[in-house]
Amino acid sequence: MAAPLYVTQSGRLWHAGLILIVTVGLPARGKTHISRALERYLRWLGVKTRVYSLGDYRRKVLGGAKNVPSDYFQTKSPRSEATNALRRRIKTEIEDQIWDFFTVQGGQVVIYDANNGNVKARKECVEKFESKGVHVIFLESLCDQEAIITANIRSVKLSSPDYAGWDADRAVADYWCRIRDQEGVYDTVTADEGPFIKVMNVGERIEVNQIEGYLQTRCCFFLMNIHTRPRTIYFARSGQSLIEHSYKADSDLSPAGWEYAERLKAAVVARRKAAREERKARGEMLAEENPLLIWTSARRRAYHTAWPFVHSGFKVVQKPIMSEINPGVWDGLSTQEAMEIYPDEWERFLADPYAHRAPRAESYHDLSVRLEPVIFELERCQDDLLIIGHASVIRCLLAYLVGLPPNEVPAVEIARGDLVEVTPASYGVVSRAFHFWSGEGRGDSSGQNLYENFAEATSGKGSVLPDSGVNFAADAMNMEREAQEEEGRDKQAKKEMVKRAMSLRGMGSEEGRRSAPQLDRLNDGREGEVGVGGEQAQEGQGDRDRGTSSGEEVLSDLEGKEQGEMRDERAMSIIQI
Amino acid sequence: MSMPPPSGPSKKARSPSIVRTQAPNSLMSDLSELRKPVEPGVLADAISKLDTLRMTKTPGASVAASAATSPAASASASGPAVPRLGSSTEMLRTLDESTKVIRQNSKAPNRAPSVSGIGAVVEKPDYSEAKIVVAMVGLPARGKSYLSNRLMRYLRWLEYNVEVFNVGQLRRSKARAAQQEGKGKADHSAQFFSHSDQKSNLAREKLAEESLEALIDWLKKEGNVGIMDATNSTFDRREKIRHRVAQESGLQLLYLESFCNDPAVIAANVALKASSGDPDYAGMSREEAEADFRKRIAQYEAVYQTITEPGISFCRILNVGQQVTMNRIEGYLQSRIAFYLMNLHLKPRSIYLSRHGESMYNVEGKIGGDSDLSPRGWEYAKALPELVKKNIGDTPLEVWTSTLQRTIQTGSMLPFEKKTWKSLDELDAGVCDGMTYEEIEASAPAWIRDDDKFNYRYRGGESYRDVVVRLEPVIMELERQENILIIGHQAILRCLYAYFLSLPQEELPYIKIPLHTLIKITPMAYGCHEERYHLPIAAVDTHRPKPNKHSKTGSGQLDTNAAEEVLNRSGAKRDYFGDTAHHSDKPKVPETPGTQVQQALEKAVDAGDVAPKVAQVP
Repeated sequence: MAAPLYVTQSGRLWHAGLILIVTVGLPARGKTHISRALERYLRWLGVKTRVYSLGDYRRKVLGGAKNVPSDYFQTKSPRSEATNALRRRIKTEIEDQIWDFFTVQGGQVVIYDANNGNVKARKECVEKFESKGVHVIFLESLCDQEAIITANIRSVKLSSPDYAGWDADRAVADYWCRIRDQEGVYDTVTADEGPFIKVMNVGERIEVNQIEGYLQTRCCFFLMNIHTRPRTIYFARSGQSLIEHSYKADSDLSPAGWEYAERLKAAVVARRKAAREERKARGEMLAEENPLLIWTSARRRAYHTAWPFVHSGFKVVQKPIMSEINPGVWDGLSTQEAMEIYPDEWERFLADPYAHRAPRAESYHDLSVRLEPVIFELERCQDDLLIIGHASVIRCLLAYLVGLPPNEVPAVEIARGDLVEVTPASYGVVSRAFHFWSGEGRGDSSGQNLYENFAEATSGKGSVLPDSGVNFAADAMNMEREAQEEEGRDKQAKKEMVKRAMSLRGMGSEEGRRSAPQLDRLNDGREGEVGVGGEQAQEGQGDRDRGTSSGEEVLSDLEGKEQGEMRDERAMSIIQI
Repeated sequence: MSMPPPSGPSKKARSPSIVRTQAPNSLMSDLSELRKPVEPGVLADAISKLDTLRMTKTPGASVAASAATSPAASASASGPAVPRLGSSTEMLRTLDESTKVIRQNSKAPNRAPSVSGIGAVVEKPDYSEAKIVVAMVGLPARGKSYLSNRLMRYLRWLEYNVEVFNVGQLRRSKARAAQQEGKGKADHSAQFFSHSDQKSNLAREKLAEESLEALIDWLKKEGNVGIMDATNSTFDRREKIRHRVAQESGLQLLYLESFCNDPAVIAANVALKASSGDPDYAGMSREEAEADFRKRIAQYEAVYQTITEPGISFCRILNVGQQVTMNRIEGYLQSRIAFYLMNLHLKPRSIYLSRHGESMYNVEGKIGGDSDLSPRGWEYAKALPELVKKNIGDTPLEVWTSTLQRTIQTGSMLPFEKKTWKSLDELDAGVCDGMTYEEIEASAPAWIRDDDKFNYRYRGGESYRDVVVRLEPVIMELERQENILIIGHQAILRCLYAYFLSLPQEELPYIKIPLHTLIKITPMAYGCHEERYHLPIAAVDTHRPKPNKHSKTGSGQLDTNAAEEVLNRSGAKRDYFGDTAHHSDKPKVPETPGTQVQQALEKAVDAGDVAPKVAQVP
């Protein structure tokens, strides 16, 4: 449904026309935040969009606050002729730039980020652009809570070049002066002025007037879903599965995959603890910890990777629309084979790795379209979120969050065993990666990341610029030890719990056979081979209480079992598939 | 001693997907199987087989690769794919058997569910947390019931449990009951709605309270969204609702105000009310009824207070879509509701649905694939433009197809703007793609899927539910558009059709969408009106009716009764007493002789005319 259904020569959605979104609002009302979020979303939709900020342009022309004429923001008494001329010049220049973006650069949507608080000036702007065939809508940002405004001034405006070197309180006071000054002459947008969207207190209330058209409605829905509460989004790939290269087989996790699943849970827990410590060290006020919600696809390798979370009582939601990119006729093929069997397709694919759709397959473009509802839910979600998914899906979601251009999406390296942490900030996101696992299925002998199938793999799919900040695999910080320790602690705690539960029941020691002999024998001579054999070294550990987190549950599990058998249940090893 | 199955009731809440493991049609059989140690030899064999599988990169690829050097090989790119790990190869079975042996040997206290074979039934996601009271606000004749019904249809299609609690219906059915008991006809003329008459006020108040209580009871028991369809026109009334809902934990309250200042829309609504057989106006002339209804509106207008209360969640809609205000829309479902309402419009339009022309796979009896049209399919593609033109005249139309060849080819002759949607691609049959139903039957008996077809997900493919989720954005876009012709596939059109005609999920996978038939759906005030145009170009019948022990219906025949039933169910008429609103699985179908329609149809078909397959029930 999303916009990038088709790509035209100009890069425009031909049915949507040119759109100018004019922000309206007093200073520090979150206009820039909303503009940037909207820009990110529209760009992700494949619409050529740019924010033109009057403030940024003024700063570029004039420099910091010291160079701004003292009457520049003055409203009560008339400004000097020179200042007025200067204001006019800056305004005309930026409007020329906007026009240039529409006509020369092939842009489709411009977000004109300025106060635009004067009804007459707005009318001029509408007339100027509508006469040239541009559809103008107003996006008014209102705020009736002083606390939000002050918080906004402190978090955003003080770091602006206008206040470089100022004392914080003095800067806040100065900024409030500027706001008060403007309030007197501010005209709110009314229904006669044309289509508008009014956003009150960053999304608390939305008023929409005469909004028609595909992109416009989408913008409204988007604005309805954004919020500014702090939260963190984590991404991790699913564990290794038995038949990695087949999409259709939808196979179970391999033993290494199960091991990975356990470690992932430990890593997430450890990372969340560490992140909290970091924030404490920075002197932030820490409220209650955000709950963690987990989303996986409905593919078994992903849902099974979340299994340890399911059993620790986390809420795990399966989303069928988060399945990996469909490889179509390429299912089961290696790069080499794809090149040999479908040489034409391969060439077309190389020419445009983002948009090319092999027969029966999905392009990254198709995948992005499919994932759009997930983006909205992701924006709306206020809890911390862990997305356990497939490389292709994570790439698309990260591309949205980080703001990657489409052609770089297919090449983003996401290693199995890395946890990507994304924290939304005022003008974008902060992303970091943590390495927590280097077992089987992470990479091949040459150190290349392993992917589920050819459609997921990065080989031959363009490249990501080294300094783009999204080379997660290369930049990952090592937290393997912490994750291992966490896993160990977790196991120890569960062991204690089982012991307690059993002694309460008079069931004797939990010691049993540590491993099944037949498995040991099988293991002989199979070391180092890919496959099930490698798992047995680990047996006897993860199984014993895999997934039980509460004493009651252990007890209920023990009920109705005979002692000897129970011992078997508890102590015997597994290859949990 | 008995082994507790891994999916004991205590786990139910946590992991809905494992609840099903004991259902007879589930293929997750090894979970409920007794765990017994597996012979070492068997296990070793299983492991070595798995290893072999993992080393064998591409079954079938070597065959294809040998031919790939010739340029002809690339032509096969658009043809059916070589099934790799498809259900027709031995590999899938080998994989499953090996996996199963290893799982059986596992002594884990809780095993994640696994699937073997070609698919399994997937539980509906847990929606029990969503509990919303939607209280309508608005004067009479402002389209409140219209919005309520649209919302109900949309949310029910997404499998939420939704009911409309209409205070007017409650009042009328009570009056009818009283009358039947011989207590005389209640006076529900405008006098009853006077806000200065203390007795009427109390009576109306009591009705509203009763309706709200019923709604809350139902929400607590099973519902997700309860829509209270009443005027709720004063601060006082709304505050009472807020107060009552706040007493229940876990219930959210959303007001939905329908505001209308377009005299034309109001006049149309009034006229509809007066002429549509409202029992309130039984025995009155149309003019009298209209006058009385206008008087009733005036009674409400006198006390009407639009929503200005701070801090409440509401959505106000001016003239259906012209202007929308949203306040404190919290939660995912509420935002979905608001977005849906934002996309509605009242412009008259029709939606045309057609399957692609007969494809080569249809002829061969195979499912899935990306085959070309058969000669008869091309005939349909050639005949379609005339049929559409005849119907639509000069009004603009947009054609949507899937990305598969058969729909693109079918639409290729149409002189309209076209768009291809990946989301309109046919249900992905996963490992069964490219097989005939007979071949599938050899892997797993058909009753397994038929037992719960909506929830059955093909391995490596999709279920009908997955398709509904994928089509939701398409529906949203459809609501915004005007005349649209969708050239789609059987499963896709079933889902879309079920949305417009509000058919339940159990029936959805069995809706008849024959080949070479154009279905015209026109949204009306209280539902959708449907017409079918069958082109006399022969095609195979791909419909597989739900197996029935008692009668085996010939699926190839024209089943006019069924079609009429659909029309009735579409709710194209308003239901004044709420007789069919609650748990109406089996609506009463009037005994209309279907033979006349049938004869007329046959005649028309014989004459080679394009004839509507189903006439509207008058």
